[in-house]
Formats: sequence, C-alpha cells, structure tokens
Amino acid sequence: MPSYSELLAATGLRSKNAVYKIVEKLKDAGLVDKDVQGRLIPGPRWNAVRLLGTVAAGWPSPAEEELLDTMSLEEYLIENKEATFMLKVSGDSMKDAGILPGDMVLVERREEARNGEIVIAEVDHQWTMKYYRKSGGTVQLIPANAKFSPIIPKEQLKITAVVKAVIRKY
Amino acid sequence: MPILHIDGDAFFASCEQARDPSLKGKPVVTGKERGIAASLSYEAKARGVKRAMPLFEIKKICPDVIILPSDYETYSLLSKRFFEIVRRYTPDVEEYGVDECFADITGLLAHRSLGEGGRHSYKGMAEHLQQTLTRELGFTFSIGMAPSKVLAKVGSKWNKPHGLTVITQDTISQFLEKLSAGDVWGIGPQTAAMLARYRIGTALEFARQTESWITAHLTKPHIEIWHELNGRSVMPLMLEEKTDYESIQKFKTFTPPSTDRAFVFSQLVRNLENACAKARRYGLAARGVGIVLRTQEFRHAGCEIMLERPSALPGEILLSLQAAFDMIYVSGTQYRATGVFLIKLAPERFDQPDLFGKILKALNVRKVYDAVDALNRKYGKYTVGLAASLKAQQFAQHEGERGDAPIRKHELFKGETGRQRLAIPMLSIKI
Repeated sequence: MPSYSELLAATGLRSKNAVYKIVEKLKDAGLVDKDVQGRLIPGPRWNAVRLLGTVAAGWPSPAEEELLDTMSLEEYLIENKEATFMLKVSGDSMKDAGILPGDMVLVERREEARNGEIVIAEVDHQWTMKYYRKSGGTVQLIPANAKFSPIIPKEQLKITAVVKAVIRKY
Repeated sequence: MPILHIDGDAFFASCEQARDPSLKGKPVVTGKERGIAASLSYEAKARGVKRAMPLFEIKKICPDVIILPSDYETYSLLSKRFFEIVRRYTPDVEEYGVDECFADITGLLAHRSLGEGGRHSYKGMAEHLQQTLTRELGFTFSIGMAPSKVLAKVGSKWNKPHGLTVITQDTISQFLEKLSAGDVWGIGPQTAAMLARYRIGTALEFARQTESWITAHLTKPHIEIWHELNGRSVMPLMLEEKTDYESIQKFKTFTPPSTDRAFVFSQLVRNLENACAKARRYGLAARGVGIVLRTQEFRHAGCEIMLERPSALPGEILLSLQAAFDMIYVSGTQYRATGVFLIKLAPERFDQPDLFGKILKALNVRKVYDAVDALNRKYGKYTVGLAASLKAQQFAQHEGERGDAPIRKHELFKGETGRQRLAIPMLSIKI
C-alpha cells in the first residue's frame, strides 16, 4: 500500500490532511485498514470490488472480465493495421514454407527487411516472394521449393512488403 | 501554433499505383465507368491529360495510358488509413475530404510515436509523418505547415507532389505575393472579381487591406479568411466525424442512356434508397425531397416535393416520388443520370401524432426498415429493396467496356462474395 506522501503526489492534493480525509472514507468503506503503526494495509473488502470500466451497478459476469484479456483473430494476425495489405499467391516457390497457390498472405508495407523474413520484392524487374537472406554484404532471395534456385539481385532489389501471416480457408 | 494540411497527391490514381506497383511511373487514369478522367497520375498529367477529359481524347494524346474503373472500396479503405496514421501524431484531426485533412500538432513535440529523430522541431514531426504515410500506404502526400488553416492549405499546394512547405509568421508575404487572391481556399470567382475592381489582385494585397475596409466590404467567411491569411487562426478544426448533414444527395450515371421509363424510374428509386439508408444511419429524416433527371444532352429537369411528415423511409416517400417523376419525365428522351436530394434534414422522430394516424403506420414501416438495414448490413447492400428499384438492380450500371468492374470485385478470396469483401486493401502483384 502507498504511503501518505506517495498518495499526496499521486492525487495532486495540496495537504496530507486532504489525503487523510480520503483515506478515512476508504477505511469506512472497508477498502483499506491501518496496521498498528498506522500504515495502510488492505481492508476486508479489498479485492472484493472489481473495478470494471463504468459498470455502475450489479456484478459483472465473470466471462466479461476474463474476455478483457483476449484478442480477436484480426488483432492476432495484424500488428500494424494501416500498413497491412492482402495478396493472393499464384506460384508455388514457397510451398515448403507452407504457402500454396491460392493462399492469402497478409503483408506489411515497408522497404527494409530483416534476415529470414519472407519478402515481396521486385528483383531485376520481376516480382517475387522469397526468404530474405543477408550474409556479409550480399543479399540472396531463397525459395522454399527445391525446384527453384536462389536469386541474387543483379541490378535492382526493391522490397515492397514483408509477409506477416498466411491464411487458407477450406 | 502549427497547423498541418495534408493532401494526398493524385489520390485515386496513387491508390491504384499503390495497389499495383507495376503501374508506378506510368500514366494512369481512373474513371473508366464515367467515360471521363476522374483522377490522373502525375505521369498522365505530364503528358497533357487533364481532369474531366473524355477518355477517347486521352487515348489520342497518350496512347499508352492505363485507364481503370474507379475502385471506391480501395480508395475508402486507404483514406481511413491515411487519417488513422495522422491520428498517431495528434488527436486533433479534421477529415476535410477523402484525400485531405487538417491536423493541429501544437505542443506535441514529445510524442512517443516520433522516436528521437523527429522530436527536435515541428518540421521534423511533419517530415516524420510524411515518411510514415509514404512507407505504409505506398504513395506520396504533400504537407503545408502554417499558423492557420488557410495558410496551411496554401502550403500544401505550393510544391506538389511530395512537398513540405513551411509558412511562418515572418514568411507569409513571400508566399502571398505570388498567389492570386482567387486561388485562396474559400475565395470564389465572384469575390475575386469584386476584389479585382478594387485593384486587389494578389493574396498579399488582400491580406494587407485594413480591417475597417475588410469589414465594410465583405461578410463573415471572407473576414475570417483575411484573418487567417495574416496568420491569425480563427477557423477551428472540426474534430467530430461528420454526422450532421444539412442535405444528402445521391446522383448516378448509367450507360448506355435509356428511354425506358420504368428503368429510369428504378434508377431514381435506387438513389432514394441509398440516400435514405444514409439518413437512417445518422438518425435523420428529410422534410423534403428533390429529384433531378439529366438527359444525354446534359439538360436537366428537376423538382422539389415537401413530405407530409419528415421521413427516411423509401416505402413512405415512394408515392410522392412517383408523382414528381411523372411531372418532369418526357417520353422518348434519352436520360443518362438521375439524382435524389434529401433536404431540410432533422433528427428522425415518431412522437408527433397526426389526425390521420399516419404516424402509426410509419412506425410499422420503420420496423420493417430496421430489418432491411440489418439484412443489408449482414448480406451486403441491395439485398432487400423496393420492387420499384429492381430494374436498376438487374442490369449492370454500365454496359460494354465502361462496365468493367475494378479487379477487387472479381479477384475474390474463398468466402468473399460479390456483395462483401474483407476490409483490407489488396495488392495486385503476381507472385
């Protein structure tokens, strides 16, 4: 429990006397109590009241409270909503990464990638989706399909987006 | 106090280039379904293409032009994202149009979204915002930063595309001396002509007039502009999302033009349904309805009807609409567009009884529309409508080449339908 001076700072009140009055009210309500030295300790009703938004009367159902800590599928899949686009996959060069023709990938628009991310990029005027590998000073784009070979950009490499999720609906 | 005006560069065409990066650097025009250029990329502009130019003319001066049907769904999604990104920097954002907004960044230099680099100055903050918009949305924006809205708007137009123009109290005159008064936001041709008679040609000459001259010769909106041009912010940002409409209009063109009376009427009824749906969404009802028919020769016929009680229920308005339509429709004329205007809007209410018990009937009709709105929300618009608009539903709005739908409407994912798609813009890259 906080001390009186901490409460003074937290509430912005001017005097400890004002803090004292509030503490007394909380004590009357059974929310806090004082130990033998006068320090604040939790009262009998501490934790009994669930402060849930602006629920004014009645007890919130347990489900309501627990669901505050869940996220929607959309929140799970999408981190930066404004930068996220969807894209339909047509080729199979990433099949061993679990990305198949017809799949939807959610991509985040940006121009730099980190090692190991799957990127959507324009390489020497061809669009492709591959693993981004950077070692030493060289960049390689690695497919996830033995039929394809890694691509080493000759003239140009322009990253448009980075794959964040793949979705397949059956 | 720095106010930003942020303006999307060639917004619709840029949305297309962001959606399909292979269009970057190429002349792109949107508006295929209308037969004229609605928006054009800077590459098209450089080739001499102008807004509202007929498409056949564009093809003559720019044979490699890429003409696309308007994809308002994608434009709307990207427009919302644009405003959301600006709101990361400040809560004070006025959405002024689909492609522009004002933002007040006063006192927000320490904002956590900026990182170290952007915190040193308001200009640094504007640059940071401009970079974020381009990186995440995939196209450019021009920004004006100034002590007032009118000056911020001068700034955003100053150096397009991808410009960032800062106007301070000390530099106002350098900008205004190069700007004609008629080019200032809010000064129309009438006012510009009136000013010209007093030998006021540039925005600076206007700004330099004395307050007594201004108040003697102009009315409130223009007096406000005069203050704003002098760097005194008197026009507050409208921060609320617009829910308070004075009127709602729905106007739609169809191709080919038609002489079929029932078809033209069905187009009018569809506009009525769309306008009423929007009014109901905002809890509004119209006291009057205006209708207009446009002929193939761009002649217009219109009339206005007053309703017995304010309404936003097409079923209730239909008979009056039919009567008005019959008055202005001319058989044998080729029509190309119809429009409906809901006017004198007020909050919808059902607590004023009338002698003939119409209110009771209206209450029941209102319940029907609660169900209609719920169905259309769930299954997509036009799922349930009046039989009178059926003919408009049965035919594509535009036949032939102009009927091409945007790619988003036919490249569907499993589970998406022609009526409803995921609220995420789609990249059209073949990979």
